Amino acid sequence: MRADDQLSVVFAALADPTRRAIIARLADGDATVTELAEPFSISLPAISRHLKVLEHAGLISRSRSGQWRSSSLDAAPLKEATDWMERYRVFWDASFDRLDAHLRRIQRDASRSSAHRKEEEQ
Amino acid sequence: MTHEATHEITLTRIFDAPPELVYRAFVDPDQLGQWFGPVGFSVPYESVHIDARPGGYQRLVMVSDDDPSERSTINATFSEVVENELLAGHQDVEGIPGTTGSVRLHFRLEFHAEPDGKTRLELRQGPFAEPLGNDSKTGWESSFTRLDSLLRRSL
Repeated sequence: MRADDQLSVVFAALADPTRRAIIARLADGDATVTELAEPFSISLPAISRHLKVLEHAGLISRSRSGQWRSSSLDAAPLKEATDWMERYRVFWDASFDRLDAHLRRIQRDASRSSAHRKEEEQ
Repeated sequence: MTHEATHEITLTRIFDAPPELVYRAFVDPDQLGQWFGPVGFSVPYESVHIDARPGGYQRLVMVSDDDPSERSTINATFSEVVENELLAGHQDVEGIPGTTGSVRLHFRLEFHAEPDGKTRLELRQGPFAEPLGNDSKTGWESSFTRLDSLLRRSL
């Protein structure tokens, strides 16, 4: 899988509040499906489906510790997505600088042309 | 909220122009290409197509001034449009340097009127979906703080 495809899969996995909450919970430490399901009013199978999506994105890994299968967070793909978003922040900052200049320009031009019209009317 | 830092960006900017003008700069193809994009990139006028209504679109191509073969396309679909107030939807972004695929991001741009004819623009962008409700949020805040510090450590 190409790196950019991986990024798309990571973003798709993150585009769900339940999955983001699961990731945040796993930042506190490994947890079983039952523990992860506790704060939600959704079923264990539903949580399992979310875990599959996160596992496919490389955001978590699942292992058996004793009787229970527990999930743990893999932060690397998440950091890649975060870095990508930060580049977007830079992108918008630069665009907004230019928008600021653009707005000043069109307002100045508008006031000039209205001043010009007033001169002509006099 | 802290958790937004991990997967979403939020930006607030004050512009010295009324909301009608700022909004128009986003939906008027004549204007958008004049300011949109990073420094060193241009948006050809003929590449800009905008239909600002729910279900409508915004498409454009950013071209590197140094190397015209370096191009990035944005193909956005609006889900919510309120004239002079709100633009929201998702965009598929292709050709960002260092990537070759398409990444889908959601965006929400709110245009708020401020005193003295100014506009407060609030941008939210990321892989967000609207929250399920309070159930999913309760008790997670400290976790998100932990997550942020975890990510910082892995820098």
